[in-house]
Amino acid sequence: MATLEIKDLHAQVEGREILKGVNLAIKQGEVHALMGPNGSGKSTLAYTLLGHPKYKVTSGDILIDGQSIVAFPPDKRAKSGLFLAFQYPVTVPGVTMFSFLRAAYNSVHTDEKNQPPTLFEFRDAMNEKMKLLGVDESFMNRYLNEGFSGGEKKRAEILQLALLKPKFAVLDETDSGLDIDALKTVAEGVSKIAGADLGVLIITHYQRILKYIKPTYVHVLYDGKITASGGEDLSLKLEKEGYGWLKEQTGVVT
Amino acid sequence: MALQPVGAFTEEKVHALSSAFREPDWLTSFRLQSLKDFRSLPLEISPLYTKYTGISNFDPTRFSVDAPTEKVDLRSHYEGYLTGKETNVILQGNSTTIHVDLDETLSKSGLEVLNIHEAIAKEEDLLRSLFQDKLVKSSGEKYAAFNNAFFNAGTFIHVPRGVELKKHPLRKLLLIKNPGTSVVEQTIIYVEESSSLNFLEELYTSASDAPYLVSSVVEVRAHASSHVDASSLQLMDDRATYLVNKEVAAANDSHVNITSILLGSQITRSRLNFDLNGRGANTEGFEVFFCDGSQRFDLESNLLHNSPDTTAALHARGVLKQESQSIFKGMIKIAHNAKNSSSYLAHHAMLLDKGARSDGIPGLDIETNEVKATHSASVAQVDEEQVFYLMARGLSPDEAKKMIVIGFFEPVLSRIPVEMAREGAKFIIEGKWYGERRRLIDRESLMAITGEAPVEVKHGSDVFERHYKYRA
Ligand SMILES: Nc1ncnc2c1ncn2[C@@H]1O[C@H](COP(=O)(O)OP(=O)(O)OP(=O)(O)O)[C@@H](O)[C@H]1O
Ligand SMILES: [Mg+2]
Repeated sequence: MATLEIKDLHAQVEGREILKGVNLAIKQGEVHALMGPNGSGKSTLAYTLLGHPKYKVTSGDILIDGQSIVAFPPDKRAKSGLFLAFQYPVTVPGVTMFSFLRAAYNSVHTDEKNQPPTLFEFRDAMNEKMKLLGVDESFMNRYLNEGFSGGEKKRAEILQLALLKPKFAVLDETDSGLDIDALKTVAEGVSKIAGADLGVLIITHYQRILKYIKPTYVHVLYDGKITASGGEDLSLKLEKEGYGWLKEQTGVVT
Repeated sequence: MALQPVGAFTEEKVHALSSAFREPDWLTSFRLQSLKDFRSLPLEISPLYTKYTGISNFDPTRFSVDAPTEKVDLRSHYEGYLTGKETNVILQGNSTTIHVDLDETLSKSGLEVLNIHEAIAKEEDLLRSLFQDKLVKSSGEKYAAFNNAFFNAGTFIHVPRGVELKKHPLRKLLLIKNPGTSVVEQTIIYVEESSSLNFLEELYTSASDAPYLVSSVVEVRAHASSHVDASSLQLMDDRATYLVNKEVAAANDSHVNITSILLGSQITRSRLNFDLNGRGANTEGFEVFFCDGSQRFDLESNLLHNSPDTTAALHARGVLKQESQSIFKGMIKIAHNAKNSSSYLAHHAMLLDKGARSDGIPGLDIETNEVKATHSASVAQVDEEQVFYLMARGLSPDEAKKMIVIGFFEPVLSRIPVEMAREGAKFIIEGKWYGERRRLIDRESLMAITGEAPVEVKHGSDVFERHYKYRA
């Protein structure tokens, strides 16, 4: 059972410290929800985990199965089994979903002997996942995220998650900007993929997605630190009461 | 024969060439007048552009021009370049046309493909009139004048009235192999009323032991209601200095597509003009370049609307790596009588390295109302957020950038209506990314490679619907 450990992580963006000592351990099969006010550093944590060049780790460590990945470039982190569903997926004009997915699939699933999967294997996997998530085939000929609606973008992220089969997935507000039906589709999609082989860190402002994907733990990130952790009831309390009560408290529970 | 001094661009040289080819006097006079223009013209005539002359400046006296004397043997010259299955090809080795092969359909169609000096001997009146009213004018540009004065090779392609050859691509392969002289060639394409032609030229180097000069003039005369596709893939090695002047004269209701895929050479200096002379003429141009190392590309393209109801679009798009540089100059000119015309001119460049540089200067000169004219230009660095996104999915930085670059070319490439030019361009651009000098292969093998992924071809979409900068 693989583990993702975040140890006393400090990170800066443009010279400003945003993460001020984050501690978190996620095992494959667990679902952790991460909540917290706007600007508290949730996306920063997500980007830092994947190694975005603008986000600099100043101290602390990120480990997968005990091996530090902080020195790895993003592609090596992806190959180590880490995945990020972006809050704002990037558009890449002129690149079809098909050619992008094939390249991503090949990079992540190339075996030790350097044999990439065949076109046939890829098509099989892709068709299976498209069916699972109810994605239309015409998607494949569209340019990556170009002109995608909010719902389509999020669904495309989940399709990638399904296809790349990481050990750990960070879902950054995968539920934002979706109408009720789209939320249901996306959330059900995630719950189909989640299982004993996937550890999930789901960043959200709302309790509603957690109805579909039951969290094992809920954490609150506040001003660059995890200031509260608990079970599902914590998310209910946050939805009802907001984050105000956390101001008075400091360094609580694990 | 005593060797001429290198770079002696003199009257004597003109006479020597002219007599070696046994040319009629009118052609000798034409060459001599062109020599005068070559000597007197500056590198740039327009004051708008004079400060950009450095990019394609070179010393022409390093190169000599002579009539070809070498005997080029088809087999040894083209070894490894031909599969033997080629039909409808013109093979030119350095300055010598060595082979014209037409299949039954083309040879019975009335199509004429001749070496230019054969054509002058055979159809002197027609050729004389074409030289008297030259499309690529010596007075128009310094190296057009150079070519007109010193050409030592050429091809005349004549499609008679009512002959449709759109579906039968005619390829010309120019293969450079240690040329003893500069290759200065003219391609004159003469397509009569209601006819069509699909012409594709490829320029390669198989060996070069010294820097060399290749100068091409390409003229397309598209008569009323004709359809001409003329494409070129320039893949010469980095010892080449490549000068090209293309000029299109489009008559009433004619349709002309010009594609230039520019990858090779140390210096490329390209001039491409569309003269929309007849009512309802419609032209589209594609200029795609991808340079690296210390390559220099100097491109100028003009859309000249001289009649009502004409439509022109020009898409220039390039990617620059390392220390390479490019400049694009373009002008839309709509004459006072060219009412109800539409014109679109775009130049977009992407820089992959800090040392790369690109400038674009599009302009408008519009003398009438009731037209649509749009131009757009951009020069951008590769987007780091895109690179991160792709890397977060496991792509290496190099693969990520390659994907972004291919995607950047895609909107222009996918509009190219000529299949071999379009798919060939994708194939060789990808090759250049990997540092391979690829060449066009036969259609089936090409489709097997590039046709693997479904591609949504988006040509036919109307560029005028989307961009408006100017509307009168
Ligand atoms: N690329 C960046 N450049 C400059 N500042 C940044 C950058 N990324 C994040 N920040 C800053 O870091 C802080 C945390 O931002 P972050 O996006 O991590 O918050 P968040 O918790 O994800 O908020 P939200 O709930 O609104 O998504 C903010 O003050 C933000 O302005
Ligand atoms: Mg965020």
